[in-house]
Amino acid sequence: MIAMKKVLAVGLLSFAAGASAVHAADVTIGALFPLSGPNASYGDVFGSGVNLAAEHINADNLINGKLTVQYEDSQALPQQGLIGMNKLVNVAKVPYVLSAFTGVSKAISTTAARTKTVAVNGGGVGPDLADLGPYFWNVIPLANDEVRAMLPYLVKERNMKRFVLVYVDDPLGEGVRKELNSTLPGVGGELVEALSVPATAQQFSGIAARVRAANPDVIYIASYGSQQSQIMKQFRDNGITQQFVSYTAFSIPETNALPEAKGALYTSQNIDWNSSDPVTKRFVDDYKARHNKMPTAYVANYYNAVRLFGLLAQELDKQGKPITGENLLAQRIAMKTFDLVGGKVTFTENGTVISPMQINEIDGAGGKVAAVVKE
Amino acid sequence: MLLLQLLINGVQVGALYALIAVGFSLIFGSTKVFHFAHGATFTIAAYIFYYLYSVSEAHWILAVLAATAGAVAFGVFMDRCIYAPIQRHEGSFFTVFVASLGAGIIVQNLVGMIFGRGFVSVTTPLSRSIELLPGLYVAPLSGIAILCAIVFFGALQIFLMRTNVGMGLRALSENPELVRVYGLSPRRLSTIVFALGSLLVIPAAIITAASSGLNPAIAHHIMLISLAATIVGGVGSLRGAACAGLLLGMSENLALMYLGPQWSEAVTFIVLFLFILFRPSGFFGRAIAS
Repeated sequence: MIAMKKVLAVGLLSFAAGASAVHAADVTIGALFPLSGPNASYGDVFGSGVNLAAEHINADNLINGKLTVQYEDSQALPQQGLIGMNKLVNVAKVPYVLSAFTGVSKAISTTAARTKTVAVNGGGVGPDLADLGPYFWNVIPLANDEVRAMLPYLVKERNMKRFVLVYVDDPLGEGVRKELNSTLPGVGGELVEALSVPATAQQFSGIAARVRAANPDVIYIASYGSQQSQIMKQFRDNGITQQFVSYTAFSIPETNALPEAKGALYTSQNIDWNSSDPVTKRFVDDYKARHNKMPTAYVANYYNAVRLFGLLAQELDKQGKPITGENLLAQRIAMKTFDLVGGKVTFTENGTVISPMQINEIDGAGGKVAAVVKE
Repeated sequence: MLLLQLLINGVQVGALYALIAVGFSLIFGSTKVFHFAHGATFTIAAYIFYYLYSVSEAHWILAVLAATAGAVAFGVFMDRCIYAPIQRHEGSFFTVFVASLGAGIIVQNLVGMIFGRGFVSVTTPLSRSIELLPGLYVAPLSGIAILCAIVFFGALQIFLMRTNVGMGLRALSENPELVRVYGLSPRRLSTIVFALGSLLVIPAAIITAASSGLNPAIAHHIMLISLAATIVGGVGSLRGAACAGLLLGMSENLALMYLGPQWSEAVTFIVLFLFILFRPSGFFGRAIAS
């Protein structure tokens, strides 16, 4: 009986050892997305791109072991984001974290730098995100690029010169305000009023009165999530008929479905969804098959963020190097160019992607491209 | 004209705040239960109305009735199935509060799972403003909000002052033991209070769905307003809560005349702070002698 127990114990131990050996080869990366609260719909959109990329990487056996993603709920709030980041870095010990929202990204950047963990942003566009150190990368063009792409188009091609900015009182909104202030005079426009709103504000009828009084041609909305939709609905309800303009944040389904958003213009990076490039084609086809709709720039960004990890980890595996933040950073600098959705992608020295921009129009039927801005 | 516009907007927003706050104040004043899930009641009513009216295209009366049934059923459920068992086991005020907070979070997540976590709104021509004078825009919904507030407060006052049940409810807020001595059931009265408090939130929920739109996390904002209005109005004073709701709505909007919009929420807290400092018993609350 004792001998049998020994055999069983040895068997169990070897099974456990085998199981842990399998786990040791698996790779986990982290994702800090809003999964609850008024910006939770962004978490759904971002996650759809992340999951598809992980699925493709595992199907292709791109890296040794299975890639899994550990999600933490940032609620799009810096404090919650930092709690999630600490858990990912100190408990799960991930080498690579996907981040979103300017405030959250700025909050976690110091932890990323201190622990040499790569943080990759595909959703926040505050211009400050370009200067958060070598371990912070952006796979999305930042707000300054987006604003610079939009302004000449509005002023020169649509003859809209008087701008009112309604911006959320956070680093993103502040970044957009600074960019409008500095760029508008150069292209022949004028910022006649800049109204900041708290991130939690839900009543905008009073602000609509201030906007009407300023008599603008264009209202630039620098907010996100439910709030940007509330602003548009309440502005239209309160007699504002002028052009709405924004940045990539408008590319979420709830904003595209809003009747009051019809005709609104927003910038995003230029991606040809009909491209025959194999990475883009596979991404678009599989996304459409799973979700029965076209992907958006956000989905592509987070797909790219995970694919970028897959490509870097593949190279590190080949070289026999461990997948650590330091090695991932060194490998990104060494490789320079990557085959991602949208074509070949390069990064600036500060770790921000270089991309042409496009101006999209919400038409109530999935949106259309109004113009492409190459520079 | 900007001042007049902001004044009208303030009255509309204030009427909504008053409707939101008075239900919470009634429940808190009568039962001493910090019904944090009052915001969840608002969310349930608003989303039922949105789903039936905008998605299923049911008649608006049917949607209102269903929203009412959903909200009242939730309020009664919270009282009977959550608070009563806790209180039966001598659960403290804090235990009840935590249970209510938990229920609110569960509802928020359930609503997100069922209706989606994005922004939704009810599209109706009633929310579209009409230019009454040059530069002065007023939506028919503003008039409806003000009318609802007047009708509901009037009806509530009559109910509380003129009916036996109403008098029982007022007695409950004073002394539950004495209520029992007089042969009334505090538990039954408590259930009526929750049903009534939940009913009062219906017009605000429906008007908000059409005017500002909804998201599953809207309950936090609702509770913020309810709490601020209850303190400013005086705990247990329905008139106070109604006036405080109106005051907060008007302060938020009139502040826009001189301050940036980022200060509008701060104005709510400045009003709250001033009341706590200089009139801690609120508008109509009674001073407590030590």
